[in-house]
Amino acid sequence: MVDRNKLRETAKEIISREDVRELIGYRAGTYGFRARPAFVYDPGEVDQLIFTPACVNNLATYITLEEKLPVPRGQEPDLRKVAVMVKGCDSRALIQQMAENAYDRDRILVIGIPCTGVVDMDKVQARFPDVLGPGEIAQEGDKFVLIYDGRREEVPREELLADKCRRCRYPTPLVYDVLLDEEVAPFASDDYSDVEALEARSQDEKWAYWEEKFSRCIRCYSCRNVCPMCYCNDCILDRLRPQWIRRSVDISENTVFHVARAYHLAGRCIQCGECQRVCPVEIPLMELNRKLYKDVEELYDFEPGVKVDAPPLLSSYRPDDPEDFIL
Amino acid sequence: MTEATQTDFQPNIVAFLCNWCSYAGADLAGTSRTQYPSNVRVIRVMCSGRVNPMFVVNALQEGADGVLVSGCHPGDCHYMQGNYYARRRFKLMRNFLEYLGIEPERFRMSWVSASEGAKWKEVIEEVVEGVKAVGPMNKFKRRQLNW
Repeated sequence: MVDRNKLRETAKEIISREDVRELIGYRAGTYGFRARPAFVYDPGEVDQLIFTPACVNNLATYITLEEKLPVPRGQEPDLRKVAVMVKGCDSRALIQQMAENAYDRDRILVIGIPCTGVVDMDKVQARFPDVLGPGEIAQEGDKFVLIYDGRREEVPREELLADKCRRCRYPTPLVYDVLLDEEVAPFASDDYSDVEALEARSQDEKWAYWEEKFSRCIRCYSCRNVCPMCYCNDCILDRLRPQWIRRSVDISENTVFHVARAYHLAGRCIQCGECQRVCPVEIPLMELNRKLYKDVEELYDFEPGVKVDAPPLLSSYRPDDPEDFIL
Repeated sequence: MTEATQTDFQPNIVAFLCNWCSYAGADLAGTSRTQYPSNVRVIRVMCSGRVNPMFVVNALQEGADGVLVSGCHPGDCHYMQGNYYARRRFKLMRNFLEYLGIEPERFRMSWVSASEGAKWKEVIEEVVEGVKAVGPMNKFKRRQLNW
């Protein structure tokens, strides 16, 4: 676990630097055990910063979300760095964004946090439904310790751990300027058993499964908005000419929306799981992303968000790519 | 609407053919008076790399029972590498549609060169046969609005 004082000292040092404009980190939320993003501009504000297993948000999203207004004549653009706190999975989002030339490496200052796993807030909420908070979560060995209303409860780590952390291959950030703690050795691996189980079903069963999921979708586009990879200024979902996906909420448009969303992340999704976390109707979006992730890995031996100089998957090719499906 | 039985079901196949090879191949099949199933509706594109995966999904949405994308053989692309890109793109797309429960027979890809009129016939026969076997596409067909 990251020492809170060390985190705040480092943050203070960084935000005091001339060349740093803001620092994006985590602070305690106001409800339940949640943590929320904190945007720090001033050294006096660093005392709110925390890092606990409740810090599930992927802060890499905010770097590309920032609106770049045209600079008025006679003014210089603000080119100071944005400092951002990242876990292992989030650091891959940064790498993938930089691999796509979303911004330059020297525009950001990465505060790496070796992460031993975060909680799944839905599981916490299911277990402690009545806690209004604010509560705090810490990790002690194999247990999560939840402190609320002057009480302290220990829960085995397995019971609250987020699904993505069970499959995490990169707990230590792959890119960082400052590392806040000792590196964490990978403690899990991914066998895609859930994807394979679904693949093995018959076509009609698969469609029945997805039809039920897709028909729940209300097309709020939260999954797109939260995704660190979905930063196109002109998104296919918003375009009217051509309007690939109509706005009506029915099974046809919903299916095409989910196909388009997942497919646009082929070879780009770094499995931070944010889309599924924010989905208000609990569509298992990661099962879609993971299918493409698995295929990309098996067919093209490609893993997104690992190398900054990797060529984009779908804009490169090998002459001996598999073509067993071609007549 | 009456449910078409599999025996008299005539599928609609949308085929995206590249200008330089497959379209010429289909043309050759026509000028050589080759008989092949008439279920196919050809859309000429400049290269198989031009075909946006959204074209495929959109065609299925708008009432196509099957989609075929056809281009030059690897190495023969007029634009050097367009068909290589298309190959990667549609391999993933096909696997993904299959994962959602859309039968893989509904989306095919083929390499047909300008001199392969006979192969074009075989390809079309296989595609039509495959789509006939899985029946009409109604999984995510766009709802027709009748005001």
